[in-house]
Amino acid sequence: MIMYEPTVFIVDDDAAVRDSLTLMIEQAGIRVQSFENAKAFLSAYQPNFFGCVIIDVQMPGMDGLQLQDELSWRKILLPIIFLTGHGDIPMSVKAIKNGAIDFLTKPVIREKLLICVRAAFAEAKKRISDFTQNQEIATCLTKLTRREREVMLLAVQGRSNKEIGSSLGISFRTVEIHKSKIMQKTGASNLLDLARIARESELGE
Amino acid sequence: MIASVKGLNFSTVFDAAADAMLLTEHTGHIISANPIAQRLLGYTEAELKGLAIEMLISPRYRKQYRYYQKLFLSKPVKRPMSAGNELVALNREGKELLLDISLTPMEVRQKLYTLIIFNVANRRLDTEEALRASEERLRLAKQAAGLGIFDYDFKHNIVYWDKQMRKFWGRYSEKTVSYEEFVAAIHPDDREARQAAIEKAMDPASNGEFKLQYRVINPVNGAERWISARGRVYFEAGNPHRLIGVTRDITEQRNIQKKLQLQRDETENILKQQVAARTASAIAHELNQPLAAISAYSEVVLHALNTNSFSAGNLRRALQGCVEQAQRAGRSLHELLAFLQKGELVTEHSNLAEVIQEALNVVYDDGYGGFHPVLHLQENLPAVQCNRTQVRKVLVNLLRNAVEAMRTVDSPILSITTQVQTVNEKEMAVVIVQDNGPGLDQIAVKRIFEPFFTTKPSGIGMGLVISRALIEANGGQLWVDFDAKPGAKFLFTLPFVT
Repeated sequence: MIMYEPTVFIVDDDAAVRDSLTLMIEQAGIRVQSFENAKAFLSAYQPNFFGCVIIDVQMPGMDGLQLQDELSWRKILLPIIFLTGHGDIPMSVKAIKNGAIDFLTKPVIREKLLICVRAAFAEAKKRISDFTQNQEIATCLTKLTRREREVMLLAVQGRSNKEIGSSLGISFRTVEIHKSKIMQKTGASNLLDLARIARESELGE
Repeated sequence: MIASVKGLNFSTVFDAAADAMLLTEHTGHIISANPIAQRLLGYTEAELKGLAIEMLISPRYRKQYRYYQKLFLSKPVKRPMSAGNELVALNREGKELLLDISLTPMEVRQKLYTLIIFNVANRRLDTEEALRASEERLRLAKQAAGLGIFDYDFKHNIVYWDKQMRKFWGRYSEKTVSYEEFVAAIHPDDREARQAAIEKAMDPASNGEFKLQYRVINPVNGAERWISARGRVYFEAGNPHRLIGVTRDITEQRNIQKKLQLQRDETENILKQQVAARTASAIAHELNQPLAAISAYSEVVLHALNTNSFSAGNLRRALQGCVEQAQRAGRSLHELLAFLQKGELVTEHSNLAEVIQEALNVVYDDGYGGFHPVLHLQENLPAVQCNRTQVRKVLVNLLRNAVEAMRTVDSPILSITTQVQTVNEKEMAVVIVQDNGPGLDQIAVKRIFEPFFTTKPSGIGMGLVISRALIEANGGQLWVDFDAKPGAKFLFTLPFVT
């Protein structure tokens, strides 16, 4: 997967705030792209967007928290830094619980903002790598046949070959053959490893 | 003469008489009863013989009977039936009979006998019974309603009062009381208003109606009760004669009303607080946006200078941004102030006494009663030039503050004074509002006109700021007299019509 240069995406309805923050972040050698509202950002969004997004909480139309929900629904993994006029504690708690990196009060201090941005970039990288790993596992699992997936599901639940055989109506011997094929295709070294793969791929759910 | 008619003696006449007759000894014991008497009373002659008359009298009249018997024996003269002598007797079944009686004393051989002739007058007893029942009903109804009754006799300066009234006043014995004593139990702050109401009712031109609520203090335990009095003055030959009416204890009712009012005030204050919070939040947002931008632009410039890494274009952009945003903040403030002082001030010639009365009515209507304003309004005060609505608003605000400050005071006194004062060689009307509450402490005195400063647990601290702005807009001034003791004293001036 190609890693693009990390970018800060600013979503704020106030032109002066956008402009001054852009200048501030660019001065630190970081790329910036800004948007005047949530809709503009969502329509410009590309899957290769990488970095973090700074969102003003109070915006006309879709506000900051609604945009957070929307990003989460669309499985957009960009870490979020919120900006607010005044520190509303219940609101910030909710935002942080929903995965925001930080909640900054305007006017923001340069130093604090840059620390937050760097932390958000680190988080973004971690999310991408986690995601890539999951993608790989998911790809492995697509190679399995329907029967092999059924066998795997029961095997990771700790059922014996005999139990699997009787519940699927196949012989003990056939189960053994399916299992060895599964190990081969997923690259799992043992049953415990297989269970981990199953969990990460959310097959168990 | 009876004795001259052969075969006709006393006994024959006695037995044959159409009226009921009893012959008694001087001790009141029956010697003989004729058949009519026997029939009326339902006893045989044998039963009646030797019986004391008293035993035939209804028990509740026996005391009265004994008194009359003594009176009669001391001076035994004939009492004819038409003289109104009557007795309430009991027949054998225990039914009460009202009897018209005549008494005839007869002395035979130095012994006194009495011939009692009687008729039943039952119809009259029924009327009395009905009257008694009606009185009883009235008494029960009065008791159930907790009503007291009073009758104030103007000429003798005496008040007749019933048991319930005496209970309200904490005095159980005397059935009458001098008017001075009666008034002594009334709360001193309520006496004036009560006197005024009585005088109004005593005016022959009025309908004589008296209606008032006042407090009565129990002389024994000092407890305060609210009394609602209603009555009417009765006139004789055009002169007020007496005031008769009823009273009711409304203390509980007033307490509940007060509680409800407090709750209402609280809700209203919460609402006001919300409005203030939202307004403040909107103002804060308007100013915070440019501040956030200015702060960021400035840090960009500072960082560039610190690191010697500035591009002229970016520095210009940042400084240009600072200037624009500072101006933007200023514009926002001006727009906000213009919005608050919207429209041209329309003034008119106003009578201050009228405006004060209007303000008092608003305060009463809002349920801020329970105080007695003491008005010292200068007579023939010239008209002032002002916006009546705004000045009324200021007065209402000052009066409410005063009433709230006096909540803890037992006898709240709110005085409103108007006078003329020369300020900077110019004559101005001055209005003074003074309460007898706890007054202002040192911090309050310094900060009382600051926005959002308040001494009330649920106030928003905008009332006096707005009031001062309104008075100034009307060409006057509003200030507080720091030395006023006790309580707080607010003064404002207004220009006279030129």
